[in-house]
Amino acid sequence: MADAIAVPQVQLVQPALRFLRVIPGVLLLAAVGYAGKLLEQNVGAYAKAHHWTFPNIEYVLWAIVLGLVISNTVGVPEIFRTGVATYEFWLKAGIVLLGSRFLLGDILKLGGVSLALVAIEIVGSLAFMTFLGRLFELKPKLTTLLAVGSAVCGVSAIIATKGAIEADDEDSSFSIAAILALGALALFTFPVIGHFLHLSDKAYGLWAGLGVDNTAEATAAGALYSDAAGKLAVLVKSTRNAMIGFVVLGYAIYWASKGQAQAVGNKAAFLWQKFPKFVLGFLLISVLATYHFFNKDQVGALANLSRWAFLLTFAGVGLRTNFGDMRKQGLRPFAVGAIGEVVIAGFTLALVYGAGKLFGW
Amino acid sequence: MRAEVEARKAGSRRKLSLDTWAVLVAFLLALLVRAGVFKHVPW
Repeated sequence: MADAIAVPQVQLVQPALRFLRVIPGVLLLAAVGYAGKLLEQNVGAYAKAHHWTFPNIEYVLWAIVLGLVISNTVGVPEIFRTGVATYEFWLKAGIVLLGSRFLLGDILKLGGVSLALVAIEIVGSLAFMTFLGRLFELKPKLTTLLAVGSAVCGVSAIIATKGAIEADDEDSSFSIAAILALGALALFTFPVIGHFLHLSDKAYGLWAGLGVDNTAEATAAGALYSDAAGKLAVLVKSTRNAMIGFVVLGYAIYWASKGQAQAVGNKAAFLWQKFPKFVLGFLLISVLATYHFFNKDQVGALANLSRWAFLLTFAGVGLRTNFGDMRKQGLRPFAVGAIGEVVIAGFTLALVYGAGKLFGW
Repeated sequence: MRAEVEARKAGSRRKLSLDTWAVLVAFLLALLVRAGVFKHVPW
C-alpha cells in the first residue's frame, strides 16, 4: 500500500525538482543580460554627458562580454549550470517569435536566394573540411563531426551526427570545443570585417548566417552589426539548420555502408526526427503575421518578447564559453577547425559578393 | 560545456525535444499576446 502511494509522489517530485534546478541559472542569464542592457543605456549617456568619445556598444556585446568575464574569472558555480544551459531554449523560442517580423513573401524571396547559397556553402564546406581532416590525419569520424559542425549548424549538428554515426564521446567533445571556440572568435571578428568592408546590412546578414557555425553566435554576430542584419542572419542560419537532417542522413548511410554504424530504416522518419522544429514554428508565426492574425501593436509586443529571449541567449553565449576548457581539448582539431573556418568565411564572403552583383544589392 | 552536452543528451531522451518545447512556449506567448493578456511588452 505504502509503495502504491510512494511511486506517484516520486513521479511528481522529479519534474518539479528538474524545474527548480533550472531557476538559479535562468536568473543568472536574466541578471547578466539585463546588466548588459543597463550598460548600453548608461555608459553611452555618461560618456555623452562628460563629452567623451566612446563608441555605442550594444547590449548584445555587453551581455556576451559580462558572461565571458564571469565564466573565465570566477567561473559559473555548479548550481547555475543547468539553468545557463537553457540559453539554447531561449534562442529557439526567440527565433520562433521573430517570425512575426517577417512577411511570408520576404521569406520566400530571401529564403530562395539563401537556400541556393546555403547549398553551395554546405557542399563546399563539407568537401574542404574532409580534405583538411585527411591532411592533418584526424580520425575519420572526428573529421565527419568537424565537417558537419562547420558546414551546417555547429553544436546541434555535431550532437545529431554523433548519434547517427556512433562516434566517440571524446570526438564529439573535441568537435564541440573547436566549434564553440571558433564561434566566439567569429563574434568579434565578423562585425569588424563587415564594417571594414562597408558591407550593407543585407550582405552582412547573409554572410553572418552563412559563415558563423552555431545558431546563437550567428544570431549575436548579426545583431552586433544592426537589427536588420540580425534578422537576416537568423533567416539564413535557419535555412542552414533546415538542411541538418539531409546531411546527417547522408553521413549515417555512408558510415553504415562501411559497417561502422547502424543502417537507417525509415528515412522519412529519420529526417523528421532530425529536422529542427523551431524552423517550422518560425514559418508558422510569419504566416500568421502575413495574414494579419496579429495587429501592429501585437507584432511589436512579440518582437520585444523575442528580444528578451535573445537577451538571455547572449548572456548564455558568454557564460558557457570557457577558454581554459577549450585549451584542454587539444590543438589539432582546433587547428583544422580554425583553418577551415577562415577559408569558409572567405568563401562565403565571396558567395555573398557574387549574389550581391547578381541581384544588384 | 559538459553541462550543455548532458542537457542535450537528456533532452533527446525526453518525449518532446527542446525544439518542440521552445515552439510550444513561443506559441503560447503569441496566443497570450493575441488574446490581449500581454497588451504591451516593454523593451
